[in-house]
Amino acid sequence: MITTADGTIGAQTARPADHPVLGAAGLASPASLYRPLTVADTVEILADGAADLLAGGTDLVPALRTGRRRPRRIIALRRVLELRTRGASADGLIIGAGVTYQDLAGWSLSPGLAATARVVGSPQIRNLGTVGGALGTADPRGDLLTFLSAADAEVVLRSVHGARTVTVPSYLAEGRDPTELITAVRLPRPCGPQAYLKVGARQAASAAVVSCALVVDRVRERVACAIGGVAGRPVRPVAAEDFVRAGVDWATGTAPPDVVAGFGELVTEAVRAVEDPLPDDPRASVAYRRHAAGVLAARAAGRCLSGPSPVRSAGGR
Amino acid sequence: MSEPAYRNVSVDEDPACPSHDAGPRVSYQLHIDGGVREVAGAWFGESLLRVLRDHLGVLSVKDACEQGRCGSCSVLMDGRLVTSCTVLAADAADAQVTTVAGLGVGGPARAVQAAFLAHGAVQCGFCTPGFVVAVTDLLARRPDADEDEIRESLAGNICRCTGYGRIIAAIRSVQEARRRPGDTRWRPGTGQRPGTDQRQGTGR
Ligand SMILES: Cc1cc2nc3c(=O)[nH]c(=O)nc-3n(C[C@H](O)[C@H](O)[C@H](O)COP(=O)(O)OP(=O)(O)OC[C@H]3O[C@@H](n4cnc5c(N)ncnc54)[C@H](O)[C@@H]3O)c2cc1C
Ligand code: FES
Ligand code: FES
Repeated sequence: MITTADGTIGAQTARPADHPVLGAAGLASPASLYRPLTVADTVEILADGAADLLAGGTDLVPALRTGRRRPRRIIALRRVLELRTRGASADGLIIGAGVTYQDLAGWSLSPGLAATARVVGSPQIRNLGTVGGALGTADPRGDLLTFLSAADAEVVLRSVHGARTVTVPSYLAEGRDPTELITAVRLPRPCGPQAYLKVGARQAASAAVVSCALVVDRVRERVACAIGGVAGRPVRPVAAEDFVRAGVDWATGTAPPDVVAGFGELVTEAVRAVEDPLPDDPRASVAYRRHAAGVLAARAAGRCLSGPSPVRSAGGR
Repeated sequence: MSEPAYRNVSVDEDPACPSHDAGPRVSYQLHIDGGVREVAGAWFGESLLRVLRDHLGVLSVKDACEQGRCGSCSVLMDGRLVTSCTVLAADAADAQVTTVAGLGVGGPARAVQAAFLAHGAVQCGFCTPGFVVAVTDLLARRPDADEDEIRESLAGNICRCTGYGRIIAAIRSVQEARRRPGDTRWRPGTGQRPGTDQRQGTGR
């Protein structure tokens, strides 16, 4: 049971009005913590756009501590079990916003997502951090964001007015309305090898300096690539994708070494051409990141396109 | 750090934290190490780490970075290893929180603690409670983890003294003791004398 200074407020019933389990009643703009149990209740509490969402807390709680974020109202999503499901249908995979990196790390249905989740943070962070939180923060170096960009994923948002689905690039361009909850991401089922490679300040428990996601689709005969850590959002090197696609022998799913090397060079070119490059950083210059992007892309392509295994994932080393 | 003063610090008197005026004081219960503790008048945005230390006087949970990076504040929440500085305390109200003191006698915790002492894996000791929680969690899930997996699993726990070699040696001794024929209990390794292991970690 949780109480405020002026009395006890229950938390278990369904009406949103009953959910401010922590709050100062009587203030003009009451500051509260809400702990709803369902998506329907969550979007109702969100309807005035005046609350911050809390998932695993790995980004938000340190920001509260330093005062970088000062919400008057917080909606904690930990008890919304609907958000913690993931599944597969004929069309693809759907992953609830409350699914953690740890949940994804062992998921055999998506080897690329699993490889990505395994190189995020530490076990402590992977046990807490969620898909919804990664999209909410939308850090241009975020590992999941980079992989989802290569995988042509879509973001499902819900408000009291209903649900809508947008592509990752348009989500990143337009953002989320403050009345909307991210409920899930959708992505196509893997149809070939996938890789996620990352260079960080350390080999584990550190954010990406540069990263590369590669998704090979042997059914549609396509190669998709996304580079993280070089621009304000993950970069899709379209010319490089087209080049490697044309160079793959799709009967075997393999590409010769010169195609793989050329792909790396074209990725470096694409990174050089981005309009909003992330600025120089004392430990990772723009030139280094450009170079590393090409190296990672060629390495990922080498792993995914050298056959013979039909579906293969490569981890973060 | 004088204990009583620290323990009774009220959030109102902590000017270093600008966010404390941004919400109400709230009261709730936490389930810690099998017991129920009352939290009275905590700021609603307080982390589990701050509530454990400042409101409840649970000082074995160490505070070093408050950014989830060092692991010294590690606890189990509903059996999962987490950094308590990145958990909102009031949202942990219905969870079981386990600190190093509550790890219990059934699992590897006691053996891990004894092995840390025997192998010189405790120097200043600041990182130790967090390490013991993380190692106990690892060995309970993956008793036969190899050295690479051990190092990777502990990447979220930083130690500034030992160079990690002695910590790894302590963990290996716990694993060896468990593997001895006829012995399925967790107990500390006895093969090495204190301080004889000079292996150093790669620091990753
Ligand atoms: C030590 C450390 C290491 C890290 N290492 C990595 C790393 O290697 N790679 C990496 O990519 N990231 C890393 N991170 C970042 C972090 O873990 C991720 O961004 C994480 O996915 C955030 O998820 P969360 O559930 O903790 O989010 P929270 O902190 O709870 O929320 C983050 C943001 O998303 C919003 N939000 C949460 N859920 C929703 C939702 N359903 N709908 C709309 N908005 C929502 C919140 O309002 C908030 O603005 C690291 C963080 C730490 C502290
Ligand atoms: S104090 Fe929590 S991880 Fe450092
Ligand atoms: S023993 Fe001093 S930090 Fe680890």
